[in-house]
Amino acid sequence: MQIPVIEPGCIPPDPVSPDSLKGIPRQQTNPARRSIENWKGFVEHLRSQSVLVREEKSESSVFVTDAGGLAFGLPHGVVRPNSAEDISKLLKAAQRFRVPVTVRGGGLTTEGESVAFGGILLDMSSLNKVLEIDTKAMTVRTQAGIFWHQLAEILRREGMDYLSAPLNLTASVGGTLGVGGIDVNSPRLGCSCDQAIELQVVTPTGDIMHCSETENPELFERVLLGYGQFGVITEAVLKIRKFSPLTMQYYYYASLTTAIEDLQMLSKADAADYAGILTILDRAITLLVAFDSDERQKDFEKKWKPKLRGHGEFGFGLLMAKYYLLRPWKIEEALYIVSRRFTLFPEFNRAEFMRDGKIIDRTVVFSRAVWKFWGGRQMVIPDLSAKAEKFAEAVERGNAVCRKYFKYYTLYCVGIKLKGNLPRYEMSCIPPDASDIAYGCEFEPMLRDTDYSRDYLQSFKNEIYDIGVDMGLSYYRFGGMMKGYIRSVFGDELVEKHLAMKKAADPAMILNPDVIF
Amino acid sequence: MNEIITDVVIVGSSLAASGCAKRLVDAGFDVIVLERHALPRHKVCSGILSPRGHRFLFENFGPLPREILHEPTFCKGVTFHFPSMVSIPMDFFGGPTPHLNRQFSDYWAIKRSGAAVHEKTTFESLQDDGKSVNIIAKKAGAEIRYKARFVVGADGPKSRVRHSVYPDYNKTIPWFMVGQKFQAVIECPLDDDYFHFWFHPELGYYTWSHARNGRQILGVGFPLGGNLHRYHANVEEYVRNKHGVKLEKAEELEGCSHNFGPSLINRYVFGKGNVLITGQAAGFFNMIAEGMSCALHSGAIAGESIVEAAQSNRPVQQVYRSLIASEVRRCTDQWNPFRIIFSNPHEADFKAALFKLDKQDQKLVLKDIWRFLKIYAPYKWGRQILSQSLIREINGEYLPSRWL
Repeated sequence: MQIPVIEPGCIPPDPVSPDSLKGIPRQQTNPARRSIENWKGFVEHLRSQSVLVREEKSESSVFVTDAGGLAFGLPHGVVRPNSAEDISKLLKAAQRFRVPVTVRGGGLTTEGESVAFGGILLDMSSLNKVLEIDTKAMTVRTQAGIFWHQLAEILRREGMDYLSAPLNLTASVGGTLGVGGIDVNSPRLGCSCDQAIELQVVTPTGDIMHCSETENPELFERVLLGYGQFGVITEAVLKIRKFSPLTMQYYYYASLTTAIEDLQMLSKADAADYAGILTILDRAITLLVAFDSDERQKDFEKKWKPKLRGHGEFGFGLLMAKYYLLRPWKIEEALYIVSRRFTLFPEFNRAEFMRDGKIIDRTVVFSRAVWKFWGGRQMVIPDLSAKAEKFAEAVERGNAVCRKYFKYYTLYCVGIKLKGNLPRYEMSCIPPDASDIAYGCEFEPMLRDTDYSRDYLQSFKNEIYDIGVDMGLSYYRFGGMMKGYIRSVFGDELVEKHLAMKKAADPAMILNPDVIF
Repeated sequence: MNEIITDVVIVGSSLAASGCAKRLVDAGFDVIVLERHALPRHKVCSGILSPRGHRFLFENFGPLPREILHEPTFCKGVTFHFPSMVSIPMDFFGGPTPHLNRQFSDYWAIKRSGAAVHEKTTFESLQDDGKSVNIIAKKAGAEIRYKARFVVGADGPKSRVRHSVYPDYNKTIPWFMVGQKFQAVIECPLDDDYFHFWFHPELGYYTWSHARNGRQILGVGFPLGGNLHRYHANVEEYVRNKHGVKLEKAEELEGCSHNFGPSLINRYVFGKGNVLITGQAAGFFNMIAEGMSCALHSGAIAGESIVEAAQSNRPVQQVYRSLIASEVRRCTDQWNPFRIIFSNPHEADFKAALFKLDKQDQKLVLKDIWRFLKIYAPYKWGRQILSQSLIREINGEYLPSRWL
């Protein structure tokens, strides 16, 4: 019996029955390791051009999975480039020898997008230098393999700061620009990728190109939010700003819908510099707002604070006490909320990061807290993004799924400002029907020390993704979306359009081949 | 003597083995699969996979080639037939599901997993010294030794791996025999698109029929020691008289024994030390005797556990037993009366179909089911199912202490 080989991007007809697997992804999401015909020839060819391919298992096994921990695969070799030229040589050879190349920055994807199922893993973390900080033009030019916390550290020496970065600062700049990047200041500043002014990109055929809104704008729009399909970002010029400490305030809600309405009100009116919702289960819902300046804060307190329906901490404590006193069988949940409150909140106010009641280093505070209280070795964070009108329903439905699967979880909601009707938003985390501000919610189980089978975690994520398909939403894709869903979410026509563009840009379909198509 | 050293040896090359091998090979482990027959080998099976199993195959091994399917290529759902002559057809939630030709589907899956397969090699015995497992196998009469860090027994109901870890286990559980005959069709009013199942205590413990490659399969299950021909003749006569199914004389027959029971009462066998037992060898069996989807998933979990244990430097049994809990819940929930009444642990909606009947028929059906269940009374599963189900409702989990 012949075992058929399936080319990427091609969905063969279903011999079982045309309507089998209803509503279920029709694409392989856990591919087998590719066999590569002339691997030796490929490695030799690259060596002759002084690009080193590391083939030891000890090198490749480091990259066996991503933060999601559900997809596993081993590359045949790892390349750590020293320059864009190295990548150019690699991609040219990869086109010729038809070797897949998977690009990896921080490896924070959750559906195996940065896992190489054979071929080359291009480890971008070797390109991690800040090249130029221009305090007049307020820009920074940096290599794209740098992690955000490194970039923040270097900017701080000049009294500067980045605009917005994903909360998880071990993401790389290049990876973030490729997927979006959402922060609590995204309702004001948009995705992290919208801060990019100019990029240096190596195209899938190995050309080193510069692009911006004026130079090669088509490439610029494809590469941003392009999920690594149209080029490898090697350098980026990003907007920066002067560093300023920030003050944070919390408002507590017992109802998700009310909190979401208030978040939307603030985001729409640009009432705060930062705004987001973090919850403990769906019981203790915290709306957090933060300000870069005293003026903005005063303005907020005068105009917007009276309109918020959230409680102060004491009032909310009483409310919770009443709720759980009437429901003594939920004592475990109550204790969890209390313990979470007393371990988590002080972390945002640690003395070493505070001066005069202001957080002087959001980078450290946020990333520390994220990793200490939400992160773990495995990130299981499916998400949904919706236009304003659909958002509350999406969160409620996702919340019901979390309840079904996990004892403890957190929801994290935030607005994402759109920069206009840009081509980059097509087939991205921005839902097609959103205008002005889209909203995203992450559904994050507290995995703690419990082990779950991959099937269990994947089933949970699929149920969240199913809501997206059902309601016509998109996904933040902070960590990715299961490949098989892309067609059901965006429709065949749009996916085919992008596939045609991809085939034109990448004839051998070698660059990040298992991510979308 | 030559010794073959590898990371993991999987015994058996069925679907549980493929699921396991896939997880391990993906994570870079060297895996050898021992199969006693030459591949592709024949396997006794209805071949009707559940949609959940279909999805697993699709996501892990890719689109199914036509060659691995029988005709009809799909099955839309299950039809329950009752002695009171009420019949209830139910569609699967996930849409039509494949009718696998196990000879080729298993071969395809194990090949796609990327593991090395040593064919015509029979597992004989093993010894676990705590650090690694030494295995003795036989090929063409000659002894072959393997040394592996982990061994996975995915070798079916009569598992030899399980036997070498728990020599007395086979004597402690009831055994069933299922047999099916293939007959050319003269007249068959049963819908080809469905798998037919009879809740009839006088026919057998498990009675089914479906179409395959232009013939009709009539199958029946009974306690080990029963006479297949007698049971089968009885079923044939019944379907002829009651359903008008007229068939030619049987052209072929096949049968095998099954360890039906452990999944009902949460008595799984997961192995010891560095030896993991998975699939039907561990006791996984879905309700309508479909074992493939839970074999795939439990096999995959055995693989995941080895990967996780190696990464986090924990004992593999500990990891396996915590990861497998979700599959145990899913499988045992199917027999849990509370789950059946208050939610739906199955892949088709029996309750909805039942509610569609008129009151009279509903009563008849429930009475028939009760009469059917009574034939299982000698096994004394009822109380165990109830107590396990209660614990599940209170605790959220089935008791791991009942696993071997």
